[in-house]
Amino acid sequence: MVDFIKTVKDFFAFKEPKEIEQFVLKEDENEKPKPEEKSDKKQKPKQKESFISKLTSNNHQKEKEKEDKAEDEKSVGISKDINENLEHIKKVYNIPDNGDLVIREFEIVAKDKSLNAFIILFDGMSDSTIINSSILQPLMLLSNVEVKGKENDLALYIRNHLIPHNQVKMVEKISDIIDEVNFGGSGLFIDGIDKAYACDTKGWLQRSVDRPNTEIVIRGPQEAFTEGMRVNTSLIRKTLKDKNLIVENFKIGKRSQTPCSLLYLKDIANESLVDEARRRLENINVDFIFDSGELEQFLEDSTFLPAPQILATERPDRTSNLITQGKLAVLMHGSPFALIMPITNSDLLHSPEDAYVRFPFSNLFRVVRIIAVLLSLLLPGFYIAITNYHHEMIPTDLLIAIEAAREAVPFPSVMEILMMEFAFELIREAGVRIPGPIGPTLGIIGALILGQAAVAANIVSPILIIVVAVTGIGSFAVPNFALAFSFRILRFVYIILAALAGFLGITLGIFVHGIMLVSAKSFGVPFMAPFGPRTSDGIADQFLRSPIWNQEKRPDYLNVKNQKKQPEISRKWTQKEKKK
Amino acid sequence: MENKIIFGRAEAISVLIIIMTTQLFISFPRLMAESGGNAGWLLTIYVTLLSLFFFMIISKLYKPFEGKDILDIGEYVAGNTGRILVGVIILITYVFIISIVLREFSDGLKILAFEKSPVSFIMIFFLIGMILAAYYGLEPLTRYSAIIVPIIAAAFLFIIIGVVPNFDTNNIIPILGKGPSELFLKGATKISVYSGLSILFLIPPFLGNYNNFKKTGYYSIILSSIFLTGGSLVYSLAIPYPATTEFVLPIYTLARFIDLGRFFKRIESVFLLAWATSAYIYLSIVLFFIVYVYKKAFKLKYHSPLIMPFSILIFTFALLPESMMAALELESNIFRVFAWIVTFCMPLFLLTIASIIKKKKRVKK
Repeated sequence: MVDFIKTVKDFFAFKEPKEIEQFVLKEDENEKPKPEEKSDKKQKPKQKESFISKLTSNNHQKEKEKEDKAEDEKSVGISKDINENLEHIKKVYNIPDNGDLVIREFEIVAKDKSLNAFIILFDGMSDSTIINSSILQPLMLLSNVEVKGKENDLALYIRNHLIPHNQVKMVEKISDIIDEVNFGGSGLFIDGIDKAYACDTKGWLQRSVDRPNTEIVIRGPQEAFTEGMRVNTSLIRKTLKDKNLIVENFKIGKRSQTPCSLLYLKDIANESLVDEARRRLENINVDFIFDSGELEQFLEDSTFLPAPQILATERPDRTSNLITQGKLAVLMHGSPFALIMPITNSDLLHSPEDAYVRFPFSNLFRVVRIIAVLLSLLLPGFYIAITNYHHEMIPTDLLIAIEAAREAVPFPSVMEILMMEFAFELIREAGVRIPGPIGPTLGIIGALILGQAAVAANIVSPILIIVVAVTGIGSFAVPNFALAFSFRILRFVYIILAALAGFLGITLGIFVHGIMLVSAKSFGVPFMAPFGPRTSDGIADQFLRSPIWNQEKRPDYLNVKNQKKQPEISRKWTQKEKKK
Repeated sequence: MENKIIFGRAEAISVLIIIMTTQLFISFPRLMAESGGNAGWLLTIYVTLLSLFFFMIISKLYKPFEGKDILDIGEYVAGNTGRILVGVIILITYVFIISIVLREFSDGLKILAFEKSPVSFIMIFFLIGMILAAYYGLEPLTRYSAIIVPIIAAAFLFIIIGVVPNFDTNNIIPILGKGPSELFLKGATKISVYSGLSILFLIPPFLGNYNNFKKTGYYSIILSSIFLTGGSLVYSLAIPYPATTEFVLPIYTLARFIDLGRFFKRIESVFLLAWATSAYIYLSIVLFFIVYVYKKAFKLKYHSPLIMPFSILIFTFALLPESMMAALELESNIFRVFAWIVTFCMPLFLLTIASIIKKKKRVKK
């Protein structure tokens, strides 16, 4: 009851706007806020302590205690006594309840001393061959061979001479070993040393690099990202062979510690933009995170805007291309999609193929796509507006055809179209869930019921079937899945607005939708740039695409360090010919 | 918060074009025909030159006051009283014109497509758009205008091209219409067609420097004059003089003349979309500036709580005229006769005094 009254009060009463850390990509690099200011803002105490917060303060205290405990556990150092370390590991991993943790105990000889040792790893996540040949075998067999090592420190001696594995880290905290083991690595403990060895021995089974599923092209590379992050970073490095490509590592999720990478070109990407992406990635406080889809929701500027503000792509070539423009990419372990930011509306309407096909073809594609967007968003609304309010708009013959077809239909046109659109959405949703072999059957049922039977039963008019079908095709022609999704939602809004007030309603929808889009930002970049606001350069590849030799500058709205992409005359051979 | 927003010249020009040319879709060509006869278009050119002349003087006087709007100048001249007085004058003007325009647009739409709907129902749609846009603020509105103005311009051009077969050059003869005295003496008060320019004197804090302000003013007047002159010229060319004073919605009437073969006969619906869009932008911008001026005049912290009360007031005022004709009369007999005082005279007066005060201060130093 208290909640209800509060909600009603909140709705009507004016509240002071909350201070939200807003990022705007400024023209000048010097304008970026100083780090001290940022930390001040972060540390700003909450202004008011509400009634509810008082009630829940007890819970907060408990949570804080828990967090402190977890912090203490994290800072536990490695003991010189191997048994102590073993006990701690067993306690952390709940041995013997946990069945897939392997603890292999053995002995090594180092500097003429026999030492107890053990290695821990998760069965199935680590590569046994690497562990056997690069860690266990050398330690157990080669340690007996005389090694001319000068090191006095035993830990250093073992790392330098007895473990030939290529990725070994000497760590001092148990938590570092746990993080490595949880991610397919192995942890090596040796008696008498207060350090342990975290070895990267990942060897789980994963999908190999395959063809893209959602961004299929006829011309262009046919590789897509996989679930392994390092495979994905290597795919980008392979495409974008540039020494300035930076791959910064992050871990997201307090417990899942999911690895993420932020990729950008150091000499091109705007520094304040990189700082902002870093700040957002470092300040996500969540227990577990599994997919880039979740990460996108944590990173985006506005949750309620229907259009996506971060681009998800499964293509390494597209990711590389966007990075070269000065954009940033985030890869996450376990997700075959890269997140690209910042983006504008036009990025969502581009297909990776646009760059690979010739200039006239790509422009034709783009025009078709714009028409597809308009059809998918507005066609049902226009149909309602015309049949209910603006009969005069269409030629009399066509009007007679529509009205004659609708004559026997007992529903008002708005009900008719809502029913059909809902049926279409139903088929689409069911089509995704249905097992592969039955899929085509659903298509036949859908086509039969919606197409023929509904018309024959006079439930809907044949013209409406055409409208719904064209709308459906239009929505599939939108290259970005998330954008097509937003149109699916908005289409219903436009239908209702058209039913209420015809073109006036549709215009209201377009106006409010437009205002929402122009006010939106993606990582501080206006979403509708370079059209609203107008920016001077980089419009060569926005709405339409100019010839590739004419795309000389990177988009102005990204405020990149180096705006020039290619010289004014990139086809030098044309000049040479002239000289001749 | 708003003062931190700085938008480009293209956005500012688009906003001013919308503000100054929206009247074209309602009654402007008819008003020009009523005043200038066959020479309505010539009258438009004349008032454009006049407004350019006045703007030239105003912009020169504005030079020492870079980044200050007319309210700041009011404050400079007469302190808080000056600021509040200027604010109240602008408020009264804007509330008056927005109510009339809201009524005219709603009634116009009622004539065009919603003959069975009550006018208040149509008004509510406009109000929803205005309120939501005003909540989003000025920045999105300017950006939206920058995108939409070229589209509306293209639709307008389409109408003009479509009407070309109906042109008859005899319709604009005699060239001077009702005669030079009617045109150049009485017609001078028609400078009020550029009353939308008053918004320019409210946006210097958003525009940045003086140069931007000056160029925005000139470009917007010249570009708007192209639309306004084009509109009245096409209207005069397509329809003979006495008849030009009779159509309630002149440009819509022109759109109905378009006949591009058997299929594209009823093209006026395109006009409806362009018309309603420009109405939404016009009404939202004026509503935003009403609450902005109120906030600034009375030194309030936020503008958003004012949006709803002012919208209700505007809605109520818009329902006061008995009919569309009464609203049109209010516009042509009151607003278009006296608006130039607020748009041109007030800034001229304030800036002159402000310059004198500034000079005196300098001499004292």
